[in-house]
Amino acid sequence: MLRYTLRRILLTVPVIVGILLVTFAIKSLIPTDAVTAMFEGQVTEAEGQQAIANMRAKYGLDQPWYVQFGRYVEGLSHGDLGTSVRTTRPVLDEIGFRYLKTLQLTFTALGVALLVGVTSGIVAAYRKDSWLDVTATTISLFGISMPAFFFSLLVIMVFSVWLKWLPVMPRGWEALLLPAVTLGLIEAAPLARVTRSSMLEILGREYMRAARAKGVGEAALLLRHALPNALLAVATIVGLQIGHLLSGAFIIEVIFGWRGIGELAVRAIEWRDFAITQGIILIGSGTFVMLNLVIDLLYTWIDPRISYETA
Amino acid sequence: MFRRMVLLAATLGCLVAPAWRTPARAAPARAADTVLHFRLGEDPETLYNIKSLSLTVNSVLGAYLLERLVYFDATGTPQPWLATGWTVSDDQKVVTFKLRSGVVFSDGTPFNAAAAKSQFDLVLDKANASPLLSRLGTLRKVEAPDPTTLVFSFSAPYAPFFANIAQAGFGFNSPTAIAKSGDQYGRNPVGTGPYMLKSWVPGTEITLVRNPHFQQFRGDALNKGAPYASQVVLTVISEEAVAQAALESGELTAANVAADAIDRMVQNPQFHTVINKVVTNLYFVEFNETHPPFNDPAMRQAVSFAINRDAVVKAAFNGYAHTANDPLANGIPGYDAAIGAKYGPTFDPAAAKALLAKAGWTPGPDGKLVKDGKAAMFSLKSYSGFEVVDRTLSVIQSNLADIGIGTKIETADWGSFYPSLLKPDWDIDLMRWTSSDPSILSLLFRSPGHRKATLENAAQDDILDRCNTLMDQKARTACVGEAQISLLQTATIAPVASDWVVIFTQANVKDYNLDFFNNLIPGDIQVAE
Repeated sequence: MLRYTLRRILLTVPVIVGILLVTFAIKSLIPTDAVTAMFEGQVTEAEGQQAIANMRAKYGLDQPWYVQFGRYVEGLSHGDLGTSVRTTRPVLDEIGFRYLKTLQLTFTALGVALLVGVTSGIVAAYRKDSWLDVTATTISLFGISMPAFFFSLLVIMVFSVWLKWLPVMPRGWEALLLPAVTLGLIEAAPLARVTRSSMLEILGREYMRAARAKGVGEAALLLRHALPNALLAVATIVGLQIGHLLSGAFIIEVIFGWRGIGELAVRAIEWRDFAITQGIILIGSGTFVMLNLVIDLLYTWIDPRISYETA
Repeated sequence: MFRRMVLLAATLGCLVAPAWRTPARAAPARAADTVLHFRLGEDPETLYNIKSLSLTVNSVLGAYLLERLVYFDATGTPQPWLATGWTVSDDQKVVTFKLRSGVVFSDGTPFNAAAAKSQFDLVLDKANASPLLSRLGTLRKVEAPDPTTLVFSFSAPYAPFFANIAQAGFGFNSPTAIAKSGDQYGRNPVGTGPYMLKSWVPGTEITLVRNPHFQQFRGDALNKGAPYASQVVLTVISEEAVAQAALESGELTAANVAADAIDRMVQNPQFHTVINKVVTNLYFVEFNETHPPFNDPAMRQAVSFAINRDAVVKAAFNGYAHTANDPLANGIPGYDAAIGAKYGPTFDPAAAKALLAKAGWTPGPDGKLVKDGKAAMFSLKSYSGFEVVDRTLSVIQSNLADIGIGTKIETADWGSFYPSLLKPDWDIDLMRWTSSDPSILSLLFRSPGHRKATLENAAQDDILDRCNTLMDQKARTACVGEAQISLLQTATIAPVASDWVVIFTQANVKDYNLDFFNNLIPGDIQVAE
């Protein structure tokens, strides 16, 4: 297991380098850069040409993209993600606390999604074709179909403006509540559907009938015998959902004013501040790859029959 | 498995825990300790004015933190602020200001001529690449012979000087604070304004508190003492709908809202409405004159005649704007409604069609005009992300289709759109510009124009250049009038509309006052219990 884990961690290096290479190549196709975006229309050529050229040289923006890439990788090797042209602060300083906030939002939303999605999936499967099943299935269909930005605005309107339960501009833990619940509920929908179908399959198996015949109680039957077997499919979908959660967090952060990397990414793209966008891509892709590794390792924990050593 | 699930829940709980440890929301402020809550559409990238011309940056610095030498009164005339007065030399190349004594920055250091000089020197130093440099025109040097005298020397008279130095970009920063904070000064600004920075949570909010050293020298301020409100909290809310919700829930003291929501808000007794119809912005259409057919003034004129400006105001701005037929917005000194009325475009599709027919365009089989075998199909570019721009483009597209001209709307974010206009492959664009001075006309349209797409016109260029050298207000106004007539006659610009400043304040807010350039005077604001 340790060897597998180390191998997977090492394999993330070429993946990340590949992502960086592609983004640098794409960047070379964009006609403007951070210096142009900052000064365009504000400094006339005659007055600012030399200073603009100096600034480009200072940040290495006057070099071909492959040279910039080489310098970036060299900087990365000693933990330097570059400096933002717009804010003049190191990228790590710009991203650091925001990354933690995005993780906080993502994992809280994941908790909400698991709680709501798995619970409603179990209930819907156990009460198949009942009004509970129909309601849960309809709501999950609604959740899958609803665009995140619209659902977010709806949540603010209902809970902050009409019911006045929470402020529109909350502080402290309240600030996390609405975005996490909103993002969590959106992601709960596919989880509910997968849990339901997986549970239905498990509940129809022979050994479930045998357990019931032996007098095992309904709660134990569901939670001890059926759910653990259904969780494998849930873990798979959670792995896929991490990408959704991270990208969904971008939209949710902007709407709810949650200052994570998503909100910063949107601004950095507007600014053409490639140092920041590259840093966010690097950290975002790294997080995605590592969390998927964790999910893969969780498989062995959920189902001891799975072993990567023999694979 | 149960144990494992408990472990999983506990792990998630640990990750979530930091959010639950953060302090709870503060209790509502007492009337005696009023806190004003306003919105910022974006987090300022810096709070150092010589580094940015961003409207957001300047809205924070200009209203709360920094003061200037002059302000403009309600008639658009410069009045002394941190200066007590000024004289202009006979050759109009030297302007000498006398400064107030006893003015102190919020860090306790004195504001004097040396401090003011250092600010202008930083802008004049090309190594700093300050976007403000172009606002200083022919200024060559600034001297401070004594603590209350500041001397500006120009290579040629520069008329926009007073309007330009009245803007937030030329608000004064403490040189001591600049030296102390180095390249992080933009995060720790220090000025002489009514408030000073208490904290800035990047991307979240900026909290300002009263500046204990503040003295009010503005003649147009109602409150001559310390600001009524003890704090100002500026919260970053990028979404219009969320800002509106915060206003409706009472969390914002005042805010503007999207045009569609204005009618509903006006009816709501929860709010007072502040509407200012004298504004400094202008939406206009301009052309790429470097290639046919828009190198022909008749073509440009035809497009201008085809635009139904009333429809634009109704569809894009929900009526909270006015149609424009003058190259200057009505809040810029030199604006003359009579010029627009006499020389400006009207909605006249028949006249547009006649001009097109005269230029050799004939209806093709599909109704589109054709000339020399080429259909009248042109690009119509603008910037994205603004509903009013999208709607204005749609109206213009429809208007042009009515006279047989097809257009392909192309929008991109400002960072892509504006540089793309330097390429030759576009025909028409919709632009919006705000300015405090008629020199905007020469910045935009003196050939080769701000996008190198304006044909050379020696006579027009001479007028535009001359307007920037006339220090006498009356003579300058006459010159600016000439420039506007020329720009309308050559159809270099097709003015479209100017949107109004519409602000909603909570009903218990009193004296939410804006100055001539629509900058807030925050010290006046009172909030009733």
